[in-house]
Amino acid sequence: MPELDRRDFLKLVGVGAGAAAAAGCSDPVEKLIPYVVQPDIITPGIPVYYASTCRECPAGCGLHVKTREGRPIKLEGNPEHPVNKGSLCARGQAGLGRTYHPDRFPGPMLRGSDGKLAPISWKDATELVATKLRGGAGGAYLLGSDPGPTASGVLDKWVAAVGAGGRIVYEPFAPEALVEAAQLVFGNASEPVFDLSKADLVVSFANDFLETWVSPVEHARQLAEARDISAHPEGGARFVYFGPRLSMTASSSDEWIPARPGSEGILAMALARVVLENGGGSASERALLAGVLDGFDAERAAARTGVDAKTIERVGKALAKAKAPIALPPAGGFASNRARAATAAVLVLNQLTGAVGKTLALLPLPSDGKRASYKELLALVDSMKSGKVSVLLVHGADPAYSMPQTTDFADALTKVPFVVSFASSTDETSALAHLILPEHTPLESWGDAQPRAGVRSVLQPAVRPLQDTQALIDALLDIGRAVSPEVAAKLPTGSFRTLLEAAWSDADFRQVLQRGGVFAEKSGPASASLSPGVAKLGVADPVLEGEGDYVLLALPSPLLYDGRGANLPWLQEIPDPVTKIVWQSWLEVSHETAQKLGLVAGDVVVIETGGQRRAEVPVVPRGGIRNDVVALAVGQGHTQGLYASRELERGVNDPQGKRLYPLPENAGRQVARGVNVISLLAAATDEAGGRAWLTTKAKLTKAGRSERVAFTGANDNMRERMLGEAITLSDLVAGKSVVDPEMLGLAASVKERLQDAARRGEEMTPPAGVPAEALTRNGELIAFNPADDAKPGSPYRWGMSIDLDRCTGCSACVAACYLENNVPIVGEEQSIRGRIMSWLRLERYVTDGDIDYVGGRPPHSTLERLGHVGVRHLPMLCQHCGSAPCEPVCPVFATYHNPEGLNGMVYNRCIGTRYCSNNCPYKVRRFNYFDYSLETWPEPMKLMLNPDVTVRCQGVMEKCTYCAQRVEFARQPAKNEKRLIRDGEVTPACAQSCPTQAITFGNLKDADSQVAKKASDPKRGYHALHVLNTRPATTYLAKVVRGPVEV
Amino acid sequence: MTPPPAASVADMIRPVPLVADSQVNRDILAVMDRPTMPYWLLLGFLVVFVHAAGAVWVYQVYKGLGIAGYAHPIFWGVYIVTFVFWVGIAHAGTLISAILYLFRSKWRNAINRSAEAMTVFAVLTAAQFLGIHVGRIWKSYFILPYPNQRGLWVNFKSPLVWDTFAISTYGTISALFLFVGLIPDFAIARDRSTGWRKVLYTALALGWEGKSKQWKAWNRTVLHLSGLCTPLVLSVHSVVSWDFAMSIVPTWHATIFAPYFVAGAIFSGFAMVLTMMIPVRRIFGLEAYITEYHFDNMGKFILLTSLIVGYSYVMEFFIAWYSGNEFEQTAWWYRVFGPYWISTWTMLICNTMIPQLLWFKRVRTHVPTLFAVSIFVNIGMWFERYVIIVIGLSHEYDPAVWGIYTPRPAELMILAGSFAFFAMFFVIFIKLFPVIAVSEMKELAIHRKSHAHEGAH
Repeated sequence: MPELDRRDFLKLVGVGAGAAAAAGCSDPVEKLIPYVVQPDIITPGIPVYYASTCRECPAGCGLHVKTREGRPIKLEGNPEHPVNKGSLCARGQAGLGRTYHPDRFPGPMLRGSDGKLAPISWKDATELVATKLRGGAGGAYLLGSDPGPTASGVLDKWVAAVGAGGRIVYEPFAPEALVEAAQLVFGNASEPVFDLSKADLVVSFANDFLETWVSPVEHARQLAEARDISAHPEGGARFVYFGPRLSMTASSSDEWIPARPGSEGILAMALARVVLENGGGSASERALLAGVLDGFDAERAAARTGVDAKTIERVGKALAKAKAPIALPPAGGFASNRARAATAAVLVLNQLTGAVGKTLALLPLPSDGKRASYKELLALVDSMKSGKVSVLLVHGADPAYSMPQTTDFADALTKVPFVVSFASSTDETSALAHLILPEHTPLESWGDAQPRAGVRSVLQPAVRPLQDTQALIDALLDIGRAVSPEVAAKLPTGSFRTLLEAAWSDADFRQVLQRGGVFAEKSGPASASLSPGVAKLGVADPVLEGEGDYVLLALPSPLLYDGRGANLPWLQEIPDPVTKIVWQSWLEVSHETAQKLGLVAGDVVVIETGGQRRAEVPVVPRGGIRNDVVALAVGQGHTQGLYASRELERGVNDPQGKRLYPLPENAGRQVARGVNVISLLAAATDEAGGRAWLTTKAKLTKAGRSERVAFTGANDNMRERMLGEAITLSDLVAGKSVVDPEMLGLAASVKERLQDAARRGEEMTPPAGVPAEALTRNGELIAFNPADDAKPGSPYRWGMSIDLDRCTGCSACVAACYLENNVPIVGEEQSIRGRIMSWLRLERYVTDGDIDYVGGRPPHSTLERLGHVGVRHLPMLCQHCGSAPCEPVCPVFATYHNPEGLNGMVYNRCIGTRYCSNNCPYKVRRFNYFDYSLETWPEPMKLMLNPDVTVRCQGVMEKCTYCAQRVEFARQPAKNEKRLIRDGEVTPACAQSCPTQAITFGNLKDADSQVAKKASDPKRGYHALHVLNTRPATTYLAKVVRGPVEV
Repeated sequence: MTPPPAASVADMIRPVPLVADSQVNRDILAVMDRPTMPYWLLLGFLVVFVHAAGAVWVYQVYKGLGIAGYAHPIFWGVYIVTFVFWVGIAHAGTLISAILYLFRSKWRNAINRSAEAMTVFAVLTAAQFLGIHVGRIWKSYFILPYPNQRGLWVNFKSPLVWDTFAISTYGTISALFLFVGLIPDFAIARDRSTGWRKVLYTALALGWEGKSKQWKAWNRTVLHLSGLCTPLVLSVHSVVSWDFAMSIVPTWHATIFAPYFVAGAIFSGFAMVLTMMIPVRRIFGLEAYITEYHFDNMGKFILLTSLIVGYSYVMEFFIAWYSGNEFEQTAWWYRVFGPYWISTWTMLICNTMIPQLLWFKRVRTHVPTLFAVSIFVNIGMWFERYVIIVIGLSHEYDPAVWGIYTPRPAELMILAGSFAFFAMFFVIFIKLFPVIAVSEMKELAIHRKSHAHEGAH
């Protein structure tokens, strides 16, 4: 032991005393340290944006990563990117949280003999894997998602160099059947790309293209474009949805036809037949198809599909007549074991109606990369079971969660002696892995993606890795080089970054990084011809396994997708667009089914699908689902992850309903959150080996207990209250207005004010430039002009217009609001109590119903009926009323009217009387029940907070500010240049993210602004709860009811 | 001797305790004798209970209002309900002391002291809830218009500011009224006591010697204070009602609210006087001073106010129907037949049906039944505020965010604590101060005697 001299002793005493004194203080001292050398590109307070690519689903949307002082704080769409054109869905935005996730592995971890993970160095870990590979790389397999073309190429080289057994690309909802069907129908390998923007009739065969299919943001934008009422006064594209359930996508349709699940192919054939009978297709096509279409006359098809023959005839004729129709094949949860045939039938229908070349492009398959193949994966599982796999390297996928139980993947995984997971945070597969080599998150990574031929998109890191992680490719290259010098020689040299740059050498890489990629859209052939193979198209009813009265639909969740979003708290807390349930699993059943089984919402049923496959799940009865169908969303049921699973400590019931809390032995134990429907599914494949999801029948029995369902929307009956309004197309064409002139009379006081002004001889004029017609509707003076509600002399009156005809209910705006404004997450238990904090919520109403005075606990009534679409999605946020009821009741002026018409909220002044919320008819104010700054953002999530927005403290109210921080950010440059803020310079987060651009924001005093033009829509414009005369700055534009397709 | 101004024919025919002056002193002040064991136990229980509730409140301040049952959009719950309840209770005291004084209703003398004390303690209890219910109590002084460098001011448009002023004014005046009334009695107590009590009463008696000049000044003061208090009785609860009526919440926004709340306050206040005085009378043997006659009168008052409250209920329903306003109608149906129906029917039965028993004199003079009725009225009036506040907020304009509120244990504990808080003060009061106004009782006796001397009847 070294000698302790006097000096050291005194030093230690001094340090010890200092530490003790410091520890005695209540708060640790934190220091703000300025940059010693300030990086060139960083100016404190000014965001820096990096172009990148979203990896939350295979769509490949372009990103602008907003960073502040070196930290990514918000993801926005890249306006130049052809896929999403500046918008971004909820899943994409929530992806920000992956980088800051508390579940991330701090570095490489090795599982010890006790089953616990212990840190290991990268060097040792690399050597360990290399050793395993040295023993015989033939048994080594790579399994994972598509990492992008360049990485894919490197991986192929790696597999070849180390002599690994192979590489399998796995994507649970990969549209494999689409490519296979295109091969079958058109005779060549191509990728059908659907463009709805130019369509005049969209027919979806149980295809939820606004939620999860292929490229939802793009499809939503295209649909909105095709139906834009200002460009198409006749209503634009009509949209028919065939499918057993009123999904989010179906709720945007004009006509929902509740067809039997799995009958889409038959329907497509029957429609094709009607199209042919009505002059569609060429003579040769007619001859080719004569035999195939034989059995599909409308009458017989009606019996098999549950759609009546007249409807088939009508839609078929409409298809034949349409100039640019488009038919979308069954996808996602509707891929059955006949998926290829069904998809092929839909492609045939597209061919016959002349869609190819107009709305359907047959693009060449991307040359780089490898497509997902379920067939190969099943083969791999077989080899794993037989012990032929010695090393399995899993990246970017969670097969232990997302593979059907009947494939015994988890079991097979235990037969693999060495499993390496590259997951950056904990998931079901990494929980079974022996070694974890955490990958960078996409925001820390280099990479690229190819959404479709011609569109190449790049990923660049926007932040240094927060944990001790490595890029997948770099880690694998290191491992390969460590195996042996011979292997090393076969591997490419350099890091992945240099390899990527080399792969992009055909373009100016700097410019690529600036723009986010190279976007050279390709168009397919102008026409195509049917392959003779079509004559043998075997369209038939799918085979469903299991005994039971109900077809089990396992549908990808619009928010959690295939389950990968489940550990992102925002996606858990944003309500499901259809049922408005958060944090849970639920089984959708029809009212009739519920009645038959004696169930009400929240009652638990045992769902059995054959074998040992059973689960218990609460039911939610709906009118919008067929009686022979039950639906359970994919995505929940994780047993790993802070948010994806349930922690027992918090106090929950186990699946048998036994109260597990507060038994001490359960503290910290994670159990499944909800039900993983995949574990109920029979494993099945389609004709070409693609994964089938529509495979199983279910038996339901009452469990005799109930659970509290976390509903966040109480009632879908609007009771004619001027909330989510709609106007029929015929009324619109006839020049009628959504606002009832009688209703205007109720707001007479304001009208009188204006008239008084006229009587006094003062000019009854709106602020300069507002056209006179903006003040009147149908010759009647409108109640007020929102532009009046700013301080006289102020050049601005901020306002918003929300076009309900464009809103699909996708909830991207909600996610944007959460992330932009540091809105806290409250968790399942608090959500059940109704304490969600979202500043912007999507209300879902199903037309006007009869006034039901009483109601009960939610969901009281559901006005959904089979075959009836009347859904209005109503984004509800602070209306920034000119005469705001919240303002006069605040005793301390914590909420006040600012000179620019905004309804301000001063958190520091608020004492929390909550009167403002009581008096807000829109109920958009939220209260900080607890100190969420301590609870919502566990380390290191605090780093992702937006520094421009205050994190609210316990006991104060908060609400939408119209993103006042963005207004302020635009103000300074305008001031410097001595001009006003220009139209379009300020875009609130919600408007920025909206895939359909339903939200417009701007200055109402500027008559030329987009928002002023939209808000003065004389026919569709209205204000929510108009009769209360709150003078909102938010103008809604009524949804247009186009009605069923007619011929 | 000039007959006191209050002498009237009615007074003379009303029964007045037939006891000697010294007897009055003895009887009434006997209440203030050395406390017995049960008294200490009761007081101890109350003090402990108040502290337990206080601990819950401290935890709430630390943790946040989330431990209460608030859920979007119901942001006022048990705390505001209880606040309004206690403000209501505070009304009977001033009504009895001030308005009945001005009307020369001599029968009030036996109960006015305890009613006044109740007023002060009820206002005190109510005021606690203003602090308990706010999100940031440590900033609640923002609601006062104090001068500050930043030029921040309060919003005089907000009914909550009016409320703050109304409650503080009412608290001040009622405390003053109680104290002034006590001065002659303090003097009697001073003369009879020893030790620390002597010091206390000497200080409080402010040198009272019972000179006619002092009596005259005292009489005038009481008269003027009564005049000052009278409008307050009407204004305080009117202001409290405007906390609701000024909003746009269906079922709150109604012009009937001010008189309706005032009547309800008097209704509940009288019931609370009965609830408190019946046990006190029994325990301390004050049957000679608080007689059936008093109960009969109080019963009539309760019956009258019950009818006013019942009329208000009917009018609200009628107007909801008559207005044709769907928001109102829906909210009213929801109130009666919705998930909160138990609260509504409790309110209707306790406040409008049970008090109908008071039409019968036998009920009004049968003390146990009267006690039971008073308890029902207290329960009913608490639920009335619960119905107005909670149900109103649950079912407003936007059906997508209708909600349900369920009180949480913390709120119920603090609610119970408020009763303990109130009772604690009352229990301390009866041992420290004369619970029946000695001087006024004597004054009545003098009247009786002087009339007896004239022998005119």
